[in-house]
Amino acid sequence: MKININSKLMTQDSKPGLPSSPSGSPLDSRQSVKIKTDRLSLHYGSFQALKDISFDIPKCAITAIIGPSGCGKSTLLRVFNRMNDLIPGVRVEGKVTLDDLSIYEKTVDVVSLRKRVGMVFQKPNPFPMSIFDNIAIGPKSYGIKDKQELNNIVRWSLTQVALWNDLKDNLKKSSLDLSPEQQQRLCIARTLAGEPEVILFDESCSALDPEATMKIEELMVDLAKKYTIIIVTHNMEQALRVSDMAAFMMIEEDKAGRLVEYEKTNIMFSNPKDKRTEDYITGRFG
Amino acid sequence: MGSVERFSHLLTRSAKRKQDFRSIFSRSEKIQQFNIQHSAFSTAVKDRLRGRLAVWLRVALAVGMCFSLALLGGCGRPKTGVIIAGSTSVQPYAEVLVEGYAVLYHDDAIDVQGGGSSAGIAAAESGTADIGMSSRDLNEKERELWFVEIAKDGLAVIINPNNPLTDLTINQIRDIYSTKISNWSELGGSPAKIHIIAREEGSGTRSAFESLVMGEAEISPKAIVQDSNGAVRQLVADDKNSIGFISLGLVDQTVKALTLDGIVPNRENVINGTYSLFRPFLFVAGKEPVGAVKQFIDFTLSPNGQKLLEHEGLISSAIEGIENEEI
Amino acid sequence: MKKFKEKLSGRIFFIFALSSISVLALITVFIIVKGAPIIAKVGFFNFVFGMKWSPSQGEFGIFPMIIGSVSVTLGAAALGVPIGICCSIFLAEFAPAKMREFFRPAIQLLAGIPSVVYGFWGLLFIVPFIRNFFGGPGLSILAGAIILAIMTLPTIISISEVSLLALPRQYKEGALALGLNHWQTIWSVLLPAAKSGIVAAVILGIGRAVGETMAVIMVLGNAVAVPLSILDPVRTLTTNIGIEMGYASGEHQQALFATGIVLFVIIMLLNSFAQYITRKR
Repeated sequence: MKININSKLMTQDSKPGLPSSPSGSPLDSRQSVKIKTDRLSLHYGSFQALKDISFDIPKCAITAIIGPSGCGKSTLLRVFNRMNDLIPGVRVEGKVTLDDLSIYEKTVDVVSLRKRVGMVFQKPNPFPMSIFDNIAIGPKSYGIKDKQELNNIVRWSLTQVALWNDLKDNLKKSSLDLSPEQQQRLCIARTLAGEPEVILFDESCSALDPEATMKIEELMVDLAKKYTIIIVTHNMEQALRVSDMAAFMMIEEDKAGRLVEYEKTNIMFSNPKDKRTEDYITGRFG
Repeated sequence: MGSVERFSHLLTRSAKRKQDFRSIFSRSEKIQQFNIQHSAFSTAVKDRLRGRLAVWLRVALAVGMCFSLALLGGCGRPKTGVIIAGSTSVQPYAEVLVEGYAVLYHDDAIDVQGGGSSAGIAAAESGTADIGMSSRDLNEKERELWFVEIAKDGLAVIINPNNPLTDLTINQIRDIYSTKISNWSELGGSPAKIHIIAREEGSGTRSAFESLVMGEAEISPKAIVQDSNGAVRQLVADDKNSIGFISLGLVDQTVKALTLDGIVPNRENVINGTYSLFRPFLFVAGKEPVGAVKQFIDFTLSPNGQKLLEHEGLISSAIEGIENEEI
Repeated sequence: MKKFKEKLSGRIFFIFALSSISVLALITVFIIVKGAPIIAKVGFFNFVFGMKWSPSQGEFGIFPMIIGSVSVTLGAAALGVPIGICCSIFLAEFAPAKMREFFRPAIQLLAGIPSVVYGFWGLLFIVPFIRNFFGGPGLSILAGAIILAIMTLPTIISISEVSLLALPRQYKEGALALGLNHWQTIWSVLLPAAKSGIVAAVILGIGRAVGETMAVIMVLGNAVAVPLSILDPVRTLTTNIGIEMGYASGEHQQALFATGIVLFVIIMLLNSFAQYITRKR
């Protein structure tokens, strides 16, 4: 497994006097890289939302993107499945690679990219149809028609999210009848049905109560054994609880989001290198 | 008067003037004062009334509008106007009569409407119209009304000019309209379904056709129905597989009138009786006509009126002598 | 004083509202009173299912006209619904904003054209076209269906478009994030989600088509017979009243009012159904 050395990990805004890591990447030799960003910048028309972001996301681990509200966390997350393309006037500079595939080339099929990189949203958004149809809709659109195969996929997906036993007799029920936590699980199951490699969680627990949040976090940790997980969260305890790597973002006066620090979570939280990181973690702002 | 006296006179005069002015000013001041007070008071009152007034005003406006609309709607009829309504066959001739009448009597307040013979007779009976026009004979009940025959009209059976046929017997026409014959090939033409066109049930033209041609047989319910002579003629002119019947006087070069058993449909043959399809044009009234209505009907029956009708293609019925005059 | 004003204006508005409902009640009572006797005399089944309509002979069966209404309306729906829904999808999902600003008022203009103008245009263009290209007299179910389809397009398009635009963004986002392309998103997720709005739009459009008279009276041919093909002339319940009311009297007139009762019931059912479906959302 190659380790990519990224010498531009720290931005120029880091405090003078602190040694910048010469070897760059905080990933250790056991971890292989799933997604790599290289000087990523993003503009909406004349407004720059992301500036010069470079870091590596390891495979089969949970990477958390944290920072104060409005710093561009969700924007960064949506770069990875190109959901930002939906916004008119968006322009991306720099490079983003998924397993050596540069995803912002013109030749890239966005539809198949989104099969590989799935997303779970902040508010559970099951489609207004039955539980079965919610999960089957992805595979059906990929071309799977065989009823038996669809049944298997539904069963498998619901099992992964621990919903199968509860719902197996009620698959025709409307998904809107489920509790929010179950709906969010259903959305995760729906994403899993497409057999993605990466799953993006965009503040997916913020609409849930603490008990439900805990259950979803357990599920995330479990899924991280097989999938690469990237989460955006404003809840630092959550980042501390579940993530392996943490990326701290902030905006400067020009309102563009930057990556301030990227480190293993336990190291960042116990010994942050940048003062701004320290201020945020200790709750002095944000 | 000495200068002093004059001066004091002037002074007192000017003083008086000043006093006058002062009193005038003070009066106007008082008026201003009063106005200010009054306007303050009136604003207060206005405010209180405005709310209620506004609502009442709007109510009154709305009601008033409704009333005026109703009145206007009801008052569409000019006081001296005559209303003639009924058969669409008679209608164009009535309009010609109205024009001629206007030239002679300087009265152009006569209104001619369609609606069909039955509608016209009903309108005359109820008084909705002063004169009802009918292109068929009246039935027993209708004969209780006042009526007069103003002309005779031939009934022409028409086909499209591109249709090679020129002659049919009455029996054949009857069979066509009862769909016993349904294809032009059965009559020697190229194979095509015959499109039969008839008038609506209340039409005098239809009644005349039913009694003169159909007899006991019924016009097929599958027939296309149009509600005026003009519409029937237009349709036959456009559709080469169609057949219809209209007032003889309305036949023009857009359609072809069939000869019946070899008899050409024209005025002469109606008068000499060889062309058997004709019907009376009647003016019907709810009561004995008086005033402008009587004057118009008299004009219609006069030599001038009858000449007009003959000129348009009808056969005069009022005065025998007219028939032999050349127009 | 203020309280009194409020109460007064409230009462006045109540009276106005009541007056519009009372007009509805008046019309309803009027038609029922005028039309019920003939239904009683002829018998409900004979009236509604009787095949012969011949007032001069005392025959009052309106079934051919019911078939006429149904066939013309179904034809209009078959033509108008797919086109309308496709248009609404185009406007909601594909059209750039400038195009939308041009299309929307243009479609609303269609709704503003008087129905008699539609009928006239149909008589001059659609009828000869059908006669020359498809055969038959041209005056036909097809002619009526085409005209009515065009007339119901504004209703269907605008309500469907609104239903699609009212869907929460999350549905589209979720579908796209799953790897569905734009068409799959529309077909599998958005259309089913907007189903109740679209169905309501269709039913309202159909309701309008059923009640249309002037536009179709000139192009249908008005034959009182059950049609065997879409190229045959027909008479609808509405055009029957339109043609004959001018000269009908006595039982004939009563029968026309009775036809009005049947129409009333049909349109009420359609409207209630549309309301029920929209409320279910």
